[in-house]
Formats: sequence, structure tokens, C-alpha cells
Amino acid sequence: MKFLKFTAILSLTIFLWSCDNDDSPSPEETGSFQVYFDNKVGSNEVNLTAPGDKNYQYETANGEKFNVSMLGYYVSKIVLEGPNGEYYADEMDASAADSKGYYHVMEGESATANIQIENVPAGTYDRVTFTIGVEEDGVQEGAAGGVLDPANGGWFWNWNAGYIGFAIEGTAENSQQEYVDWGNGASTEEKTFALHVGGWKDVADNENFVNNVRTVTLDFGTTVTVGDGLSPMAHVVTDVLKMFDATNIDFNTTYSVHAPKAGAPFANVLEQIFVVHHVHQSTSSHD
Amino acid sequence: MIKNCRKYLTFGWVLLLLYACSDTEAPDKPFGFEKPEHFPEPTYTFENNPVTKAGFELGKKLFFDPMLSRDNSVSCNNCHQQSRAFADTPLHATSIGIDNQFGIRNAPSMANMAFMQEFFWDGGVTHLDFVPINAIESDIEMGESLANVVEKLNNDEEYPALFQAAFGVSEITSPFMLHALSQFTAMMVSANSTYDKYVLEGQPLTELEMAGMNLFQQKCAACHQGELFTDFSHRNNGISSVFGDEGWATITEDPSDIGKFKVPSLRNVEITAPYMHNARFNTLEEVLGHYDGNMVDSPSLDPMFKNGGEVVGIPMTEEEKVQIIAFLKTLTDHDFISNPLFRNND
Ligand code: HEC
Ligand code: HEC
Repeated sequence: MKFLKFTAILSLTIFLWSCDNDDSPSPEETGSFQVYFDNKVGSNEVNLTAPGDKNYQYETANGEKFNVSMLGYYVSKIVLEGPNGEYYADEMDASAADSKGYYHVMEGESATANIQIENVPAGTYDRVTFTIGVEEDGVQEGAAGGVLDPANGGWFWNWNAGYIGFAIEGTAENSQQEYVDWGNGASTEEKTFALHVGGWKDVADNENFVNNVRTVTLDFGTTVTVGDGLSPMAHVVTDVLKMFDATNIDFNTTYSVHAPKAGAPFANVLEQIFVVHHVHQSTSSHD
Repeated sequence: MIKNCRKYLTFGWVLLLLYACSDTEAPDKPFGFEKPEHFPEPTYTFENNPVTKAGFELGKKLFFDPMLSRDNSVSCNNCHQQSRAFADTPLHATSIGIDNQFGIRNAPSMANMAFMQEFFWDGGVTHLDFVPINAIESDIEMGESLANVVEKLNNDEEYPALFQAAFGVSEITSPFMLHALSQFTAMMVSANSTYDKYVLEGQPLTELEMAGMNLFQQKCAACHQGELFTDFSHRNNGISSVFGDEGWATITEDPSDIGKFKVPSLRNVEITAPYMHNARFNTLEEVLGHYDGNMVDSPSLDPMFKNGGEVVGIPMTEEEKVQIIAFLKTLTDHDFISNPLFRNND
């Protein structure tokens, strides 16, 4: 047995060595690509304020005044495509060790806004596709680590197992939320709102199940080149005001959304709130 | 070339692993999960979480450890006891958790979880790994946050080494804790009852039990179907017309589903009293009395229990009830409830 182990290690060494030796310039050149998520309320930057802050900074088209205290979403299944058939799908693997290909973009945590994709085949690209939320294949594989880990900031619904794909919380002038003391040091402030969009079940012939996971495809309107030493970026703007305007939100009745059906109207407009603002050929020039 | 290189590398590692493993007499083999011949394929994702001795033992330790609750007073075992096929004791109709608070639901048996498609009476959880999060974070069950439990485990003297041994991780995270609990739970296969010996080995049932089995097939098996004795559907079997606990409607958000609950497995039902999601009945005699003549009408009552507009339930004679109960008792798996594999080591 010892001998076999030795043989195995020897053969591994030979493989390693042969790899090293053959490492001539590769015809399969790759590069990186960055997707940058820039959250906005209309043309304004998002300025997070504490829940209950009644000094309203924003207003919907219908005159609903509000603030934002928390905003975030899961981005997954990123795909890049180009005019000549270029295609690259970010590797996906939700496992206990990590959740590869899942990103949790959180307003106020700037590092989460920059999604860096490596090993993209060299070429020109003019389109990005991504999914907001976590689809069935990310839920039904069981407990997952990384950004999906519920003990580490993952947004997990215990009672109706699955992940919240998109969430925005804040304070609104017309919200009917009353102050609640939860008795364990936690409380809900007056006039706050919380919209949690989740739900991933697709059941044939059963409209009771709403799948609120949405896939968004955005054209760059131009091409960027991926290759050795290049690091292009797509600057995506996420405008939450569009979500409120497109759903004609009335905070008087809609201030507490925590179930799939109630979240459906917001999921249905998700595609409209993302836009590629511009692309850069090089990351360093990013503003 | 880069790609090819990787292929060789993987190949090399696989060889190495194979050889290294064959050296140690496959220690995990006895802990491999085995599907009973007559059961359906398991639903559990063993490919992501294969059962090993180290993982199973770790899951067992967690299961019996009150550290999983806020004040270190409640363990999973408080509400799921082996002598009850891992259901709660009849003393706790609906389970009692932290600060002696009463829950609203009766703790079901944990037998054969590896084969189930949904968990909890309302079917809200669709993967076994996620079940314990509810118990740990429920205010009335263990009142603890998953993050705190993970922190406590990381600061413990024993757990970090045990997780390292089971999963090769230097830091404990919640998915590995959940995987360990699932390994312990998934091994709880109950398939060695008198009934199973009849099905698998042709060991005869008594005349009474046979008569009961035939009646069961006619009257009950439409819902309590197959070798797991559930068709995995959600139905209202007429125990009430007012539902403070809405059941399946909590998940579907459809008022027409109010009062529907998951059809429970009936394996080991003799020892899992009380019965129904709200622990409504204490004996099997009461349950059959309910099906026979005490059913309550409500909009979601299963159509099977109605004839035209009239609630007919499942008409049975007293003799038939005795026969059916005799059959239900053949589903008790004495090997399972006394198997030392699941006993606390400490
Ligand atoms: C305070 C009592 C209590 C504790 C402690 C408790 N449970 Fe439970 N368990 C319940 C109740 C009650 C249910 C049913 C809940 C429901 O349907 O909503 C349940 C359901 C389950 C189920 C699903 C059974 C089914 O058929 O759907 C599993 C599996 C389970 N518990 C495992 C565990 C594990 C693992 C732990 C420890 C981490 C644990 N429980 C701790 C009371 C408890
Ligand atoms: C129309 C479907 C249906 C039929 C037919 C049916 N059941 Fe049930 N049974 C259920 C449902 C649903 C529940 C759980 C209801 C609840 O908890 O609210 C249940 C619960 C039970 C329980 C309680 C199990 C536990 O662990 O709490 C027993 C025992 C039982 N049934 C026995 C029978 C017997 C015996 C028959 C035939 C005489 C029968 N059932 C026929 C749907 C059915």
C-alpha cells in the first residue's frame, strides 16, 4: 500500500511537472470583467438613514415621501455575451463551503457592489445577464455557505424556506406601521416599511406559488474587450424609485411585505429598475 | 492548454485520494445510508452531504446538546425522543420549549425524514437541512439565533476539532452544523416493523392485522399511501372548522387552503400520541372515532369525506376499528426505538 501511495504521489508530481513544462503561451486567453452595482433613488445617491427617521429625502411620482434604511439584493448566474458568439457563464455552486456565483449586493457595504468575474475568455462583449434572487437549484441543494449562510448575513426565510432576493426597508410618511417592542431588545419603529421579495417555487397549474426570482438582460449599447491585462467594467444603475413608481406604491397599505404573493408586484418590475449606465474599458477610470 | 492542465491535475489528485483511502479500511462504510428495499428513493441530497461516522457522531452530539438554545436548557432531544420514534412525549401535547412556553404544534416523529419532500405540518420547509433553523430560531422552541449558536460552537473546547474531523473545516459555519444534524437525522430510517417483515420476508400477520390491513387499503391509503404512509399532499381531515393555525395556507397564501395540513406518515403511530397537528386526540381509538362520525365540515374539508353536501367521514364498524388499530400497531419498529446507534453517548 505504501508503494501505491508513493506511485500516486510520483505520478501527480509528473503531471504537475508536465503541466509546467507545456505552459507555452495559451491560445485560450482570458481576462476579468467587473459588474458594478450603483444604487440610486431617481437621480439621487442612496443615503441610508436610521429606521424611523422622518426627515424625508425622497418622494415618489405620486408624492409618497420616504427614506431608505436598508437596501440589498442577491445577484447570481451572471452571463456575458458578445456579438461573435462570445459566451461566458460565471461558475455556480451553492455548497456548505461556499456559494460560488452568488453575490449579495448591500447598499452601504461598498465592497459588495463590485462583482469581479475572472477567467472570462478573451473577446468582445456587449451584453450582461444576471438573476436577482436565488432559484430552486440554489435552495434545494440544502444548506449553503458564503453569502447564503443565514448565520452570516444570508437572507433566509425560515418558515417558507428560501432566500429573499431583493429587500428595501425605510421610513415613509404614509406608512401605517406602529411602534412594536419585540421584548428581546428589538423593536420596529413607527412609520417604517419593509418590502422583502422572495419565493422561488414554480408549480405547474398552481398559481398559488409565485416565483419572484427574475432574470435581467442588459445591453451595453457598445462593446468592451476582455483580454490579458484588460479589466473592463459595466456600471449598472439600480433605481429603486422606478420600483415604487412602476408599482404606484401606496405606503398607507403597503408597508409590510414578507411573503411571496405580496412581493410579486415588486418582482414583476425588477427588470425595469436596472440599466447599464455606461461601460469602461478599464476599471481604474471608474467614477 | 490551461484547461488540459487542470484535467490532469484533478486526475492526479483523484488517484492520490483513491490510494490514500484504500489504506484505511474505509472507516465510513458502516455509516453509509442504505435505502430499504421497498422504500422510494431518498429525497435527501446525500451527494452534497455524504454520511460519515465523524459527521453522524457530531450530528448526534449536537442533537443532544442544550447549547443550541439561548439559555442552554433545551436540546432537540427534549421534544424528539427515541422511545417515541423521535416524536415528543405525550406529556407535552404541543411541544414545550424555552422558558416553558407552549408551542402551537405537536412535534412529529423524525423517522424516515430522508424520504420526505416537505417538512413541518404546513409543508413550509422543502429541504431537511433547513429544518433545525426553525427550531433554533423559534422564540418558543429554542429562542436562539443561528449566528449565536455558531459562535458558541466555535468558542467551545470540543466542537472545533470535531467539525475539523468531520468536514475538514477550521472554522465552524452554519451549513456544516446543519449538515451534521442532517447526517444524524437522515440515518433515522425506520423500516423494520412487523409490517415490514411481512412485506419483505413474508412473515405472516395475524388474522386481525390482515383484516385491518385490507380495511386500511380501502379506507385510508388514498392519503396515507405507499410505504411511507403519506401521499405528501396537504388536506383537511375535518378536525375543526376554525383554524387559528392556517396550515398549508400559510405557505400558499390561498384562503381555500386554510385548515389543510400535511398528510403525516403513520409509521410508529402507536407510540407517537397525541395525534394531529394540534395534538387533538390522545388515542388511536379517538382518531378512528373522529374519522367515523365526528368530522366537522368547513370549506376546505377533503371532498373524500363528503357525499354531495353531506359530511360522511369514513364509516366503520367497531370491529373494523379494532382491526385497523391492530394493523396500525404492526407499524411500530421496536428495533428503531431501541437502536443504540441513536442513543446519547454521554
Ligand atoms: C420545543 C420543542 C422542539 C425542539 C427543542 C425541537 N423541535 Fe423539532 N419539531 C418540534 C415541533 C413542534 C415540530 C413541528 C413543527 C411544525 O410543524 O411547524 C418539529 C418538527 C421537526 C422536524 C420535521 C418533522 C416533520 O415530519 O416535518 C424535524 C426533522 C425536527 N423537528 C428536528 C429537530 C431538530 C434537529 C432539533 C434541534 C435542533 C429540533 N427539532 C428541536 C418541536 C421541537
Ligand atoms: C383525505 C385524506 C385522509 C384520509 C382518507 C385519511 N387520513 Fe388520516 N390524516 C390525514 C391528514 C391530513 C392528517 C393530519 C391532519 C392534521 O393534523 O390536521 C391525518 C392524520 C392522521 C393521524 C394522526 C397522525 C399523527 O401523527 O398525528 C392518524 C393516526 C390517521 N390520520 C389515521 C388515519 C386512518 C386510520 C385512516 C383511515 C380510516 C385515515 N387516517 C384516513 C388525511 C387522511
